[in-house]
Amino acid sequence: MGFKELKDKYQLLRDLMDFIPDVIYFKDKQGRFIMVNQAHAKGLGVKPEALVGKTDFDLFSKNRARKMAQDDAHVMNTGKPIIDKVERATRPDGVDNYVSTTKIPRYDDKGRVIGLIGITRDITRRMQFERLRKDKLCVEKKLESLEELSAMKSEFISTVSHELRTPLAVIKGLVTIVFNEVVGQINHKQKEVLQKTLDNTERLKKIIDDLLDISRIERNTLKLHYSLVDIVDLIKDSEGFFIKLAEEKNIRLKYVYPGEPVNVFIDADRVRQVIFNLISNAIKFTMDGGKIKVEVKILESKVRIGVIDTGIGISKADLSSIFNKFTQVSRLPGAENKGVGLGLSISKKLVERHKGEIWVESKAGVGSKFYFTLRRFYTLDMLGKSLRNKVSRLMKSGISMHFVSLMILNCGEFRKRMRISLDSLFKDLHAILVLVLKNAKYSGADKQAMSVINPKAGKFSIILPGASSRQAANISSLLKYKIKQYFSSNKVEDVFITIGSLSYSQKVLSQDDGFSPSRFSIKEIYIGSEMRRFKRLSFKTNIKLFLPDEKVELSESVDVSEGGICLVIKHLLKTDSELKVSFAFPENKESIITAKVRVAWIKKIELLFGESFEKYKVGLEFINLENRCKKIIRRRLLNKS
Amino acid sequence: MPKKRILLIEDEADMVYALNIQLEALNFEVLSASDGQAGLDMARKEKPDLIILDLMLPKIDGYKICRLLKFDEKYKKIPIIMFTARAQEQDKKLGQEVGADAYITKPFDSKALLDKISALLKK
Repeated sequence: MGFKELKDKYQLLRDLMDFIPDVIYFKDKQGRFIMVNQAHAKGLGVKPEALVGKTDFDLFSKNRARKMAQDDAHVMNTGKPIIDKVERATRPDGVDNYVSTTKIPRYDDKGRVIGLIGITRDITRRMQFERLRKDKLCVEKKLESLEELSAMKSEFISTVSHELRTPLAVIKGLVTIVFNEVVGQINHKQKEVLQKTLDNTERLKKIIDDLLDISRIERNTLKLHYSLVDIVDLIKDSEGFFIKLAEEKNIRLKYVYPGEPVNVFIDADRVRQVIFNLISNAIKFTMDGGKIKVEVKILESKVRIGVIDTGIGISKADLSSIFNKFTQVSRLPGAENKGVGLGLSISKKLVERHKGEIWVESKAGVGSKFYFTLRRFYTLDMLGKSLRNKVSRLMKSGISMHFVSLMILNCGEFRKRMRISLDSLFKDLHAILVLVLKNAKYSGADKQAMSVINPKAGKFSIILPGASSRQAANISSLLKYKIKQYFSSNKVEDVFITIGSLSYSQKVLSQDDGFSPSRFSIKEIYIGSEMRRFKRLSFKTNIKLFLPDEKVELSESVDVSEGGICLVIKHLLKTDSELKVSFAFPENKESIITAKVRVAWIKKIELLFGESFEKYKVGLEFINLENRCKKIIRRRLLNKS
Repeated sequence: MPKKRILLIEDEADMVYALNIQLEALNFEVLSASDGQAGLDMARKEKPDLIILDLMLPKIDGYKICRLLKFDEKYKKIPIIMFTARAQEQDKKLGQEVGADAYITKPFDSKALLDKISALLKK
């Protein structure tokens, strides 16, 4: 090799030694450093030359050096390299870290060991990474087993609850027999005793039902059956029952309604369950002579139902866990009030399934205010007069029939999105219907399907005389599927179509226990998407919230409309309290909007890991928004659409 | 007037006992079977005026029995009340689909059951 070549090759090796961050060194047979690289020397705080001739004993603690010497000896005596041995080391500057050591023997040209080459690499970061990965796997495993446990628990509750019902039914049946004197007369005292026995079987039944509900809700096997309902109507229905119940405790129960019907799309039975839970709680926890108010309030795009009492209230300590399972707070004397503590947790889950919010404001000794919201629906009457007449005519002539009603809510919006006229939309739907009826093999000269189309009102009803309930079920599900397909092919995805039993508001027919008389069963299909009175815009900007007692909180808004703002804050506000807000849209910082607002609804946000303070999402409605501000918001909303 | 005959297809002996007492007190003649197959055979042989059918039965389940009877010209006129501890919507819907005339969940209100029976027998 020529000198230049040598020099170049030497430079390559020099670069390797100087710039590689790993520690590289050469030792002789006695363990003395022949040469070390920059990284090694730097790590010890000296220059490479200073290490030549030194051994580990000169640099590290005796124990450590001894271990290293052992390794060296092993490598040089056996000729077996040590590769990637992981060791924990403490550097001279005190930092603990992990290193991977590789030592291989060096031979002369006669094959005799003359020393070794060592490479030590800092793998502290790799180790940390490994540990994090292990921790993550550990946590995932724990989570998995927790979920499994939870599923098993739910299934257990479900199975046991079903099993409990059967003997309970037997007990109820047997006691009723004696109570009704079917097997002989009984005296007054005996009757009293048996009455108490029956009351307790009812209590037991309620507990089992609650347990089943909660386990089903948790396993996500609870199915909701939606229909269009006037919530005012729903609540009025049980007025009598509750007023009587309240009177027994000399409690004055008052209902406050808005002056108009409020339509919501809900599972009527389940929402009834929530109302029942809240009002019966209010009665339970209010002393004799107290007052309870049930108030239905219309909000911009929601309806809010409040149950406000002057009862014993909830202490601050219990407030945060009030909606938890199996929580029971101190009650008034009276064992008949004991449940198993599931009512509120079921109510919360049901409200949330309906995409509503539920919250409580309470003061021990003063009373409690429970609120929940439901999203509103704008719609028209369900059965038009002409249709009702047709139906009653058929009923009178004894022909059994099925009735399928399609209602497209917010027709206008769909039309816009699909860019077709209302008439062609209904023509298309009619064509789909004809196809579906053909496929379902429903026909016959005497069984003409009647369809009533009312495009302006977005209604489309089909009466199927002479169809069996099976056929009606088939037709409805096929229709639903085909209509969804149709909308989908026109790029409208968020159509919801549901087949449910007749809406609660329907007064034309009577039903016993939700099971229709066999000659007349009704299925309804609703198509619609949520309508809002005001257009909304979601964006982030800083909003100043002027709280009472002179505090000011900053928040990022969630969305804004002409009607109000929805934002996330750390403060707990009082429902219906009034405050001031001020904000500006990012692109238009000079136009500051200030407004008075009222707290419409509150939702507590579940804490994520690492968060220590509570967060609430609140809906604030503008009170008498200035025209100037209205204009600014409106302009912004138009721009974004 | 001859007594109306009600067939109970129910595997809980005490439940049969309780229903028996109540129904006989109302002047019904009560027949009973404690498993699905026996119940089906008895329904076909005896052609009762009404059947109270438990859903959770050994041998054949209640839904199947209901379907078999309701889809058979000879027996489809016999009203069937389904009877069970399961009260979920899909159970009720399934009941509708196999042609049941009514559905009662346990524990039940005996007055409600009796009202249903008289309503169905009147037809």
